[in-house]
Amino acid sequence: MAKVTDIVLWDKPGERVLLLGNHAIARGALEANIAVFAAYPGTPSSELTDTMAAVAEKAGVYMEYSTNEKVAFETALSAAWSGLRAMTAMKHVGLNVAADTFLSAVGMGVEGGFVIMVADDPSMWSSQNEQDTRVYAKFAQVPVLEPSSPHEAKEMTKYAFELSEKFKHMVILRTTTRISHARGDVVLGELPEEIKQAKRKFGDFKKDPSRFVDVPSNARRFHPIILEKIEKIREELAECPFNWIEGKEDAKVGIIAPGLAYSYVKEALAWLGVDDVKILKLGTPFPVPYKLLEKFFDGLERVLIVEELEPVVEEQVKVWAFDNGIRIPIHGKDYVPRVYEMTTRRAVTAIAKFLGLETPVNFESIDEKYKKVSAIVPPRPPSLCPACPHRNTFYAIKKAAGPNAIFPSDIGCYTLGLLPPLKTVDTTVAMGASIGVAHGLDVALNGVPGEKETKEKKIIVATIGDSTFFHTGLPALANAIYNRSNVVIVVMDNLVTAMTGDQPNPGTGDTPHGPGKRILIEDVAKAMGADFVEVVDPYDIKATYEVMKKAIETEGVSVVVARRICALHRVGEMRRRGEKWPIYTVNEEKCTGCKICINAYGCPAIYWDAEKKKAQVNPLICWGCGGCAQVCPFGAFEVMKEGE
Amino acid sequence: MVKEYNIVITGVGGQGILTAANLLGWAALHAGYKVRVGEVHGMSQRFGSVIAYVRFGEDVYGAMVPEGKADVILAFEPVEALRYINYLKEGGLVIANSNPIPPVQVSMGLATYPSMEEIKKIIEEDFKGKLITLDAEKLALEAGNVITTNVVLIGALTQTPGFPLSAEHVKEVIRLSVPKKAVDINMKAFELGVKAAKELLGL
Repeated sequence: MAKVTDIVLWDKPGERVLLLGNHAIARGALEANIAVFAAYPGTPSSELTDTMAAVAEKAGVYMEYSTNEKVAFETALSAAWSGLRAMTAMKHVGLNVAADTFLSAVGMGVEGGFVIMVADDPSMWSSQNEQDTRVYAKFAQVPVLEPSSPHEAKEMTKYAFELSEKFKHMVILRTTTRISHARGDVVLGELPEEIKQAKRKFGDFKKDPSRFVDVPSNARRFHPIILEKIEKIREELAECPFNWIEGKEDAKVGIIAPGLAYSYVKEALAWLGVDDVKILKLGTPFPVPYKLLEKFFDGLERVLIVEELEPVVEEQVKVWAFDNGIRIPIHGKDYVPRVYEMTTRRAVTAIAKFLGLETPVNFESIDEKYKKVSAIVPPRPPSLCPACPHRNTFYAIKKAAGPNAIFPSDIGCYTLGLLPPLKTVDTTVAMGASIGVAHGLDVALNGVPGEKETKEKKIIVATIGDSTFFHTGLPALANAIYNRSNVVIVVMDNLVTAMTGDQPNPGTGDTPHGPGKRILIEDVAKAMGADFVEVVDPYDIKATYEVMKKAIETEGVSVVVARRICALHRVGEMRRRGEKWPIYTVNEEKCTGCKICINAYGCPAIYWDAEKKKAQVNPLICWGCGGCAQVCPFGAFEVMKEGE
Repeated sequence: MVKEYNIVITGVGGQGILTAANLLGWAALHAGYKVRVGEVHGMSQRFGSVIAYVRFGEDVYGAMVPEGKADVILAFEPVEALRYINYLKEGGLVIANSNPIPPVQVSMGLATYPSMEEIKKIIEEDFKGKLITLDAEKLALEAGNVITTNVVLIGALTQTPGFPLSAEHVKEVIRLSVPKKAVDINMKAFELGVKAAKELLGL
């Protein structure tokens, strides 16, 4: 089991390796001789970005962690305009941030291949909504490729660059969690000499204002060009190596399976023991190649489309069938759910119903038996890590602001402050929204200064992470200061983009190519004109509480930077260096069983011993921050020993 | 060559579940199989309940094991065996670490942790599986470091009746994967897991 960052650079064509879908895409980009990669991390896309960061110097690729998806998009797009192969990657909602540039730039075309990798998250394992990027592709008239396995993801990445260059049009590579975070056997291909020799590639931007300036007179030309191109691409895709017809040639029943659904359909048919069907495997859900549909529909009497989320393929197929006078039954969303992710169970259930068969396993009886399990299994939602500085910050905010305050928050690990016992997150919408929402609530509830005579002013304390602050917090902070808001903004600065796996950001100053220029959040806040700016260490809960009090009392916009390195990051570094940290234990003579540590603080390393009626520390997961010793009124937490 | 073999690994985020899944995936790959490993990263990992899937054989496609199709469930924590019991096929085996990690909600008194008897009863009577439990942390400490808990459990897993990969083969992949200075304790941990499972299964 070699290191992934080594494997993706192995010069061993033909070698079979086990790679995560995201790693396979990184390898595909390298095999395609990528020159520039820029991205903002977002689950489930981040491992692609991190792999590119790790190998950038060794492969002669320029790679940057951009401050947000729009900036990343522009960085990569400009490289493609300059004739270089370029890629950006993001989670599905990241495309919303990049959408302004994305939709306006489609008509300008590209010179070097430009691939936008977007990772969707059906079932929302780590996301705030379930949008389907294939709908965006159709909206923008950009072709979208969707792999059915990690190996195909690698091959498609190479093909995406070629397709993009051939038509001078951008291309989306769309994955889902179950491709990005699935490992599969991948066969390595050839690496280009430039990648092997770490030779940086440079582009050439040819000025052409009629193309690169989207004033209305130019933009009016773009729309018909886009529509013309997409129809040419549709024709090309009939020959695409990721679209094919398989199964029984003279079958009466057909199944259309786009993207990963193909894998579930194959398993379902094998499980059902059915082989007298024809399958249209589609790697390009938009645009659906009509020529393939003509061939596929020949001789069919009924068709089922097994598609995850939105009926993107279904709508295209039905419109095409109607226009061509084909009147056989075509089913889709009436058999396959439109919400949440596709599974083998869903595929097998839909196909069994469609063919009038029994499912191979009685799922209803499993569900019935499982009711007993649901009734007794305690929930185990994710939680902030032991020693997480955010826990201390939330604890101090709650104590300083009181129970009636409102707590808008943001996207990051700290969203977990929602859960009991902290419960210090009242709203979360989108990246950077905490500050806009805090300001909006202040306007709605308190009015602008001097406008409303009110005895009871609502205290509003927003929380936002360091990376999120740079991502989309900045314009919202400028707005709040400019419009004389009266809110507290706590930037929870754990010196890393933690949730997505420890990426650097402007607040850390590191880049994949060496030191960048570090930007201090407090300097930004001061320069913008915040009325109160202070930095505090959340490992000192009392000091944090006092700073919060002062911030709340100050009229205007207060910015508190609660700065302490991410505990998970720190523990990882310490383990690598072979260092130890203190481990706490409960002095049972001092513990009164008041449960403050559990019911108000809630560190996962602390649990309740119901027999002894005392708190206990699990030494295996205590990471030694000492927060428990600060919140316990009886001094019951003591350092047991230096751990690990 | 087996056509399809399905392993479900469950536990609590931070227990080394994804590492275990990856090791098993590589072992299957080196044995010449087609492989899929399914996992979830990001928010759901942070000390929450975690499930990973390892599938291999001549014919595997999706990365997730469907309900009712797992040959074996390897649980790093007892209640996490029960939480995902709907994945087990009838007659399948559940190998569980016997050390409970009480969720915060249990400590807060908002939920209760089922007894081992209840867990066993549901697995064996309702879901027609077989449950064996071992104190993997204790064996890992005996091997030299608690961090080898997942290797103890992988060792035990290789003793599942009908397991398509040989214990020696899996052990070799682990030997090549861990840092040099940790090879000895990992090999010892693996062997202790094998031995414990053999005794529990009466092999």
